[in-house]
Amino acid sequence: MIKEDIRKALQNANLSGALTRFSEAYAVSRAKAYEGLNFEEIREKIASAKAFVAEHLEEVVQTFIKSAQANGAKVFYTKNPDEVKKYILDLARKNNVKSIVKSKSMATEEIHLNKYLKEQGIEVNETDLGEWIIQLAGQRPSHMVLPAIHLTRYDVSDVFTKKVEPIEPDIARMVKFARKHLRRKFLAADMGITGANMAIAETGTLVLFTNEGNARLTMTLPKIHVAVVGVEKLVAKFEDIFPIIKALPRSATAQLITSYISFVTKPYTHIDGSQKEFHIVLLDNKRSEAAKDPVFKQSLQCIRCASCLNVCPVFRLIGGHVFGKIYTGGIGTILTAWTEGLKASKDIQGLCIQCGNCVKVCPGKINIPELIVEIRKRLAKQEGLSFTTRAIYSVVNNRKLFHSILRTASKLQKPFERSGFIRHLPFFLSDLTQERSLPAIAETPFRDRFRKIIQPSSGKKVIFFAGCLIDFAYPEIGEALIKLLNSAGIEVLFPEEQTCCGAPARYSGVMDVAANNSRQNLEALLSVEADFIISACPTCTVALKQQFIKDLKEQNYTQEIITKAEKISKKVKDASEFINTLIKENKIKFDRSQELTVTYHDPCHLIRSLNIYKEPRESLTISGMKLIEMFESDTCCGMGGSYSLKFPEISGTILRRKLENIKKTGVDMVCTDCPGCVMQIRGGIDKEGLPIKVKHSLEVLAERLKEV
Amino acid sequence: MFELFKQKAEAINAEVYYFKSKAEALDFIKDFILEHNPNKLSKGVVWCESPFLEGIDKDSLLMELPQVEFNIDLNSASSAKIGINQVDYGIAETGSLVEISENVSKRLCSTLPEIHLAILPLSKIEPTMDDIMKKIDIRKIPYLTVISGPSRTADIERVLTIGVHGPERVLILCVDNF
Repeated sequence: MIKEDIRKALQNANLSGALTRFSEAYAVSRAKAYEGLNFEEIREKIASAKAFVAEHLEEVVQTFIKSAQANGAKVFYTKNPDEVKKYILDLARKNNVKSIVKSKSMATEEIHLNKYLKEQGIEVNETDLGEWIIQLAGQRPSHMVLPAIHLTRYDVSDVFTKKVEPIEPDIARMVKFARKHLRRKFLAADMGITGANMAIAETGTLVLFTNEGNARLTMTLPKIHVAVVGVEKLVAKFEDIFPIIKALPRSATAQLITSYISFVTKPYTHIDGSQKEFHIVLLDNKRSEAAKDPVFKQSLQCIRCASCLNVCPVFRLIGGHVFGKIYTGGIGTILTAWTEGLKASKDIQGLCIQCGNCVKVCPGKINIPELIVEIRKRLAKQEGLSFTTRAIYSVVNNRKLFHSILRTASKLQKPFERSGFIRHLPFFLSDLTQERSLPAIAETPFRDRFRKIIQPSSGKKVIFFAGCLIDFAYPEIGEALIKLLNSAGIEVLFPEEQTCCGAPARYSGVMDVAANNSRQNLEALLSVEADFIISACPTCTVALKQQFIKDLKEQNYTQEIITKAEKISKKVKDASEFINTLIKENKIKFDRSQELTVTYHDPCHLIRSLNIYKEPRESLTISGMKLIEMFESDTCCGMGGSYSLKFPEISGTILRRKLENIKKTGVDMVCTDCPGCVMQIRGGIDKEGLPIKVKHSLEVLAERLKEV
Repeated sequence: MFELFKQKAEAINAEVYYFKSKAEALDFIKDFILEHNPNKLSKGVVWCESPFLEGIDKDSLLMELPQVEFNIDLNSASSAKIGINQVDYGIAETGSLVEISENVSKRLCSTLPEIHLAILPLSKIEPTMDDIMKKIDIRKIPYLTVISGPSRTADIERVLTIGVHGPERVLILCVDNF
């Protein structure tokens, strides 16, 4: 089902075109909007103010209620979304309300308020232009901030012509058209419903951001104003709003400020001289449960700016109708898991490729990919694993079996292999090679080659952690590392009991297997003595450095084992960083006579989890390479480990963009520091038959070593 | 500070004017009305009570410009093309206006008409929003809006279009010696 939706979305050029153009422009304008401001400082303030509310939710809710009531507002607070609908309906009935105008509110979308009120015979008109279009079209928003981004001017003109009256597809005219028609609705409405971007507990004030001015009219013209506010919008203190005022417009639409920021505190005398009715409905709908969850309490730090969607390499291809429910994208997956239940997120949670692009832009400092992995864990627990998944991971769980299967596969692949690639696979496996060629499994894995390498013995020793890809697909990367380290007088050890770092299991939420992988590796890596443990795969580096400890703790391993993991963690270095240090210490020297030009692709885990991006560039440059940067060098290549097997079409589309960006640099070599990225990009280049070499930086550096 | 305010406000499509005195500003307003709403037979301009109007003889102003309406209700405000009010603060950092409107008429002048003329005493321009928020007690203010330029949308194909539900032009008349 979701596969079919993905296929349709990927074929919808309007959708992916609009979203991609927007995301490209957004990256530039967002950076410009934050110029001169310290984003880290701002988001630290937001995250801590919001985390405070999550920690003290009930208390802050009560403070808000007291303040708002003292101001003369009527406050209704409930955990049950049905009661929200009933409250509004009763209020409407009591006041003989026939027509309602609404300004954008995700909280009311979440409880399907419009449908409910319409069924009760009340006319409801959305007034935000995008929302109005969506309402007329009978669709749901495809993006939290840009609800109609999937529609072209022609689509909009069709919708208006069919549902209102004929209008040509001219944007300026259609905007005027909306003003004219909605103005009538504003003037005739008996009730206005809004959301709120913030609710200040100590003053009882609501703060609303709009650009169109529709929220001001919604609040001002009808006699009754009802604001439906999710409790996550609360802040405790007045001063807490300032960092959000700075971040929300910048992160949402790359504006320095929206056209209107309204602060509503008290009911005042209405236009006709009567008393204005001001109702605030606080919506909980599982938010207080999320607030009590040790992991998901973070989700309440969301300010609903949707910047995570704007930088997501998957979202910009398939949009929110596929990647999301009411709430869309990565954060939408998390909110769906709570507001609609864990099961509702089952189909969409897999779409996160775990590249971490959203983590660096989130103003609420929410680690979205981590929370999505948590959803995977809980789904695996609640729903159980499919037979195939279980079978695969039970193999990965057993190193000897896993490795012998890889060795057998190396023999079995022979009929499909040519010059190191598998270009076509038969039957149900054909999807795997549709978008890119697969690397052939090496005839002799690294572990066997290692035994034959003669190294100068040295007092300085490091352990090499190879990981599956280098061990079984790209042993030459491991050999290059050894060559470089040997040239610096360092001897490399390779404990053979090392196995998969656990990433495939971990990012799929199969935690018992991930933790077991971690434990097996600990034993192997502590079996020999060395100062450092070097990995040339950033995903493995992150596993060894950060994840082993977490997994083992989570799976309740003994303190003794966790201490071992901590010991390992301190010794682990990514090869790109370690080699760079040796180069700068002049321990590795190059023959710089041949100047080659290269472009660099940043692996997701290297740049975003380890913050390493200067080092590999510097190493290449010192070795005499000329670097030409590509556009979006730090955007995911689409590999995402097993993601490329689960969603080959999305992975392939992301890959093609990467290839386009590589081609535009005009160079004939790409370097990167992750064997997974090498596999993905090399496979795509082979499939397209491009004359471009793809290499792990270590290979290039080793080739350029000065002969002694 | 005025220069920064003007630069920032113009960057978000507001129009900024400087006047040495109230009299100069009044002349500008009269000319503007005559130019943009010459029809004297209908009430095309709503003008909200404010300190600026103190000392101005409204009767003679009405004789001169009968298209001006000082009695503001839903009907007059929604049929007017121009709304005039006096706003409370300017924010230099963003080129924004702060409109405190317990009195709903004041708000109608800046929400319903196509053109909003905002009178801003020059002395009321502050560096940042934080500076202003420190001076006021939000608890005592029923309704406050920070207005930054005209109403805008980019909801169709991400094309920026000025003037949706609110004014499509915002003229800020900064008046010195007020």
